[in-house]
Amino acid sequence: MLIHLPIAQIAVDPLIIVAIGTVVGFLSGLFGVGGGFLLTPLLIFYGVPAAVAVSTQANQVLATSIAGASSHWRERAVDVRLGTLMLMGGLVGSTVGVGIFSLLKYFGVVDETISVLYIVFLGVIGGLMAWESVGALGRSGGDPGRRTRMRAWMRGLPIKRRFPRSGLYISIIPPLGIGVFVGILAAVLGVGGGFILAPAMVYLLGVPTRVMVGTSLFQIIFLTAYVTFLQATFNGTVDLVLAFVLMIGGVIGARAGAAAARKLKAAQLRLLLALVVLAMAGRLVYDLYVAPKPDYRLEIAG
Amino acid sequence: MNARGAAFLFAILAAPPALAQRTETPRQPAISAGLAEETVEIKVNYSGARIVLFATAPANENASSGMAVALIGPSGPAEVVRRTPAGEKRFKFVTAPSVFAVGAEPQVVESVLPDVMIESGLNAAASAMPLADELQSPDLEAWRAAFVELKMDQGLYSFDDTTIERLEGGLRRARIVLPPNAPPGDYRIRAVAFRNGQRVGETEKTLTLVRGGMDATLFDLSRRHGFIYGFLAVLLGVLVGAIAAWVGRR
Repeated sequence: MLIHLPIAQIAVDPLIIVAIGTVVGFLSGLFGVGGGFLLTPLLIFYGVPAAVAVSTQANQVLATSIAGASSHWRERAVDVRLGTLMLMGGLVGSTVGVGIFSLLKYFGVVDETISVLYIVFLGVIGGLMAWESVGALGRSGGDPGRRTRMRAWMRGLPIKRRFPRSGLYISIIPPLGIGVFVGILAAVLGVGGGFILAPAMVYLLGVPTRVMVGTSLFQIIFLTAYVTFLQATFNGTVDLVLAFVLMIGGVIGARAGAAAARKLKAAQLRLLLALVVLAMAGRLVYDLYVAPKPDYRLEIAG
Repeated sequence: MNARGAAFLFAILAAPPALAQRTETPRQPAISAGLAEETVEIKVNYSGARIVLFATAPANENASSGMAVALIGPSGPAEVVRRTPAGEKRFKFVTAPSVFAVGAEPQVVESVLPDVMIESGLNAAASAMPLADELQSPDLEAWRAAFVELKMDQGLYSFDDTTIERLEGGLRRARIVLPPNAPPGDYRIRAVAFRNGQRVGETEKTLTLVRGGMDATLFDLSRRHGFIYGFLAVLLGVLVGAIAAWVGRR
């Protein structure tokens, strides 16, 4: 049985869409990331137009993040103060990002730009995480050291505040800056930003991995809600039927992922996430630079 | 594809550059025909449709008599882009059908020349119309062939999905596949009768593909009331997430 998607204007097999949602939801629950970095390319591979895939996955990530964050909230593993600060930056960034997305769409370079940006970010972040987590596994298998050279420059920044849930006393500038940056990516790449936010919180801010997962999801809820609203209202590219079918698989997978996460060490989780991120980057590099491309393509003329 | 199929494909694809498909073909005697349904609704469970056309061939049929049928979708501009080592080259078609499905009886495939198929409005390549100053371009045939190939890849052009059955009394029943990604609009369905390689009768019916049900509601809402649509999208995510969280707690 196929179902017709009103905005994407294609017919899809709902079982495949549920399966995609479940896989991504599982990773979301396991790593505390929204999963958009995986969902968008999977939807594009399945034939959903890039603009619809980018916008619709934000809607799905919204649902899975609410489901995931609720269990971390009960375990008091959400730093609301830190999350709110990054969220404020994220809202500014995503507003700018939606504008950039509209411009890219206008000039017809959405697909190429999204692919190249994905490769850069997935490759760099995946590589750095894999390097660090392999080293950490050889030691205690826990969180990275609290006072690293990477964080030394932050100690000199002004406007310091306490974040008791994370056990931090840091300037508000880095969390705000990270929020703005992630917000722009959220709108342009159609990701919740978790795959950047999660390592940034652990490595740049020094947030414990356990608190990072819940805080990341908390922040992603509001960011994806905002991006969904903007993309649906101004670009009309959110497909509610596709989003709903994805959500069904997503929330089921998210619960299974959260259960699996409790059985792994922090460094093992980070290494697995790094491998997933690198695999995605490899696939995109193959598609963009290695796979044979057709000589001709069709465009709708204006 | 067998030899007969290949010959038919050649007949409907090969379009000499200077020969544009005529929009005003010489009138032939009308043949009587009717569609099983004149309107198809795109609903959420829509996954393509099979259009059925009944048509009667003119009298005095002989061994070469046969019929060809084409479904032609709403037309619009299109541009084919070719990657070359020197960069991209573009070729614009002022108008080309969004969907084109054609089929013919075996005797038509064997006896009708490509030019006659073009004059009959049954040639997919020739239906893509370039700018007036490109009509004599030596590359037109290659661009048209690429256009048809790309449309076939999208599943919007098809040459072997249409079947024509011969019933009693010269009556034909044609089944034409309307793809799931066909755009809404008015579709023309042409039935042309041939004898001795020449057109001896034709008819044209209109089929309307419209959005219906939830598909239409959501599409219209997203285009006309973006603010409400955006609010609904957020509400859907929050509701599903909250229900999942509630179920998880129990």
